[in-house]
Amino acid sequence: MERPSALQRLRAALFASPLDGLITVVLLAALLAGGQALLHWLVFKAQWAVIQVNSTLFAVGRYPLDQQWRLWLLTTLLAGATGLSWGLLRALPRPDRRAVLWPTNDRLAVALLSGLGVLVPLVLQLSAAIALRWWLITALVLACRWLAGRWGAALPAIARRGWPLIWPLLYLLGMTLIAGGFGVPAVSPYRWGGLLLTLIEACFAILLCFPLGVLLALGRRSSLPLLRWLSVLYIEFIRGAPLITLLFLGQNILGLLLPGGFTPDRVWRAAWVLTFFAAAYVAEAVRSGLVALPPGQMEAARALGLPVYQAMLKVVLPQALRVALPAMVGQFINLLQDTTLLSLIGLFELLGTARAVMANPAFIGKDAEVYLVLAVLFWCCCAALGLGSRALETRLNTNPQPA
Amino acid sequence: MTDRDLMIEARGVEKWYPNGYHALRGVDLNVYRGEVVVIMGPSGSGKSTFIRTFNALEDFQGGEIVVDGMALSDDVRNIDAIRREVGMVFQQFNLFPHLTVLENLCLAPVLVRKREKAEVEREALELLERVNIREQAHKYPGQLSGGQQQRVAIARSLCMEPRVMLFDEPTSALDPEMVQEVLEVMQELAREGMTMVVVTHEVRFARQVASRVVLMAEGEVVEIAPPEQFFSAPQHERTKQFLSQIA
Repeated sequence: MERPSALQRLRAALFASPLDGLITVVLLAALLAGGQALLHWLVFKAQWAVIQVNSTLFAVGRYPLDQQWRLWLLTTLLAGATGLSWGLLRALPRPDRRAVLWPTNDRLAVALLSGLGVLVPLVLQLSAAIALRWWLITALVLACRWLAGRWGAALPAIARRGWPLIWPLLYLLGMTLIAGGFGVPAVSPYRWGGLLLTLIEACFAILLCFPLGVLLALGRRSSLPLLRWLSVLYIEFIRGAPLITLLFLGQNILGLLLPGGFTPDRVWRAAWVLTFFAAAYVAEAVRSGLVALPPGQMEAARALGLPVYQAMLKVVLPQALRVALPAMVGQFINLLQDTTLLSLIGLFELLGTARAVMANPAFIGKDAEVYLVLAVLFWCCCAALGLGSRALETRLNTNPQPA
Repeated sequence: MTDRDLMIEARGVEKWYPNGYHALRGVDLNVYRGEVVVIMGPSGSGKSTFIRTFNALEDFQGGEIVVDGMALSDDVRNIDAIRREVGMVFQQFNLFPHLTVLENLCLAPVLVRKREKAEVEREALELLERVNIREQAHKYPGQLSGGQQQRVAIARSLCMEPRVMLFDEPTSALDPEMVQEVLEVMQELAREGMTMVVVTHEVRFARQVASRVVLMAEGEVVEIAPPEQFFSAPQHERTKQFLSQIA
């Protein structure tokens, strides 16, 4: 028998029975009506002046104008590193396979990135100079991805293995560029704002809550009773308290708890609270991975003569973290979105900036435009995290794939 | 045989599980260099528990175990030293699924014996050749059949160059058509003079390969005899009963 044509398959999928047909028609009508209304609003009603005038405020807050080259430099470095890492992942197939493992997601990511990179500056009618910079940065990511994909396999093994270390290094370099130090003039955290502050808080918390969460999970399964009880107490206390109360609490008492004279300012106090909060959830995700692991793995490692710490590092944790990865990335996405709560303790991250802008009499009634841009920005960050995590999952999955 | 030929010496080993179950009731066993000792017995007789005490995967409360001249104690360094010399093959293979076959073999020699990676890899490939599975070196364990995985597990143990190998029901989790390929590898190993302690239900393997066969029941050693005598003229009623059940 011949394979049914595309039209026949479409008909079978959408109009198989009268009820299916009805559902399809109703949904299509709703989709059309909604899409038409949205398009109408986007093209004729929405006034993007509120974004254009305040674009710098949304992006970086009150970061000094004459120092903003530092942020552009950092963005360029990040774009380059992203493109190179992406390309390297594609260039280096796993020992058991030759082909790239996630072609669909990969193409989707390229399309999304190019589309957003080109269109967003246009839709928001950013100034030509700024729009050009965003286009160049988008092009840089794609160029680096292509370069690393083309030549990455030729790199010496040590460079390929050591490459992920670029990220913690870039974090340190980035924080130096943002905050100053080593001869770069200081910029006080009170001048950080908008997307910049959102990303600073989220990156700091994500980077630190991960090792902290792993330690807590191991502590919870330790054979030392005191360590176990303390870990359980910490995890259950944090998971039982709403983040917003912890944030208020942190503003008031964190200075008292930390050792002598070390009282971080409000921005860093909030970052620490986010870190401690997320660590408890990461710990539970990691614990689920540890529980899922058959005890035979530890036994086999120990029977081969590996000491406990090496068995943990080389056998148990790599597998447990792989199981915990989706839950952990989900937690990181939550963390990113939870940064909006910082607006309630008086920080001007994205939502705080938006509320400040909308309080300005000149922009009364422009809430929809502002919130839509905010939603798209958050969605982009979360989609990037999600796509990256799924690519990683696919790469780490060593079970036979259905052909 | 002299005491110098003694590889494993277990004297009066007693084991209670935390729930109070008395799993081993004063078990004695000597295993000499180059011997293949097969342990048989009904499930729950303590045979797996017993061989797992040899490399301290199970602790025990009474008696004494000496492996290759080293007495097992609670000292962690002592336990690690003994584990380096004792290879173990499990019923469920317990390969590391996140590592390739080759990486499974090289992990312990590189980390524990601090040997050079390139050299270990060369030896590992030779070992894989010996168990007829070299062409799978760069696959992951999940992509292999059960029989292939168990042969990799044997090679992984051998890569540490152990003085004695323990097999804990190595063919019980395998599909019937894969049992033979694993038994052949074990037989080959025995022919090369490896000291082996094997818990198994494979009568044919015991008949052909074992130096002595042990019957365990209810946490005690019931009978120890050369295979001809064990299977043809067992001395104890419990052994006869067991043999009639598996025949």
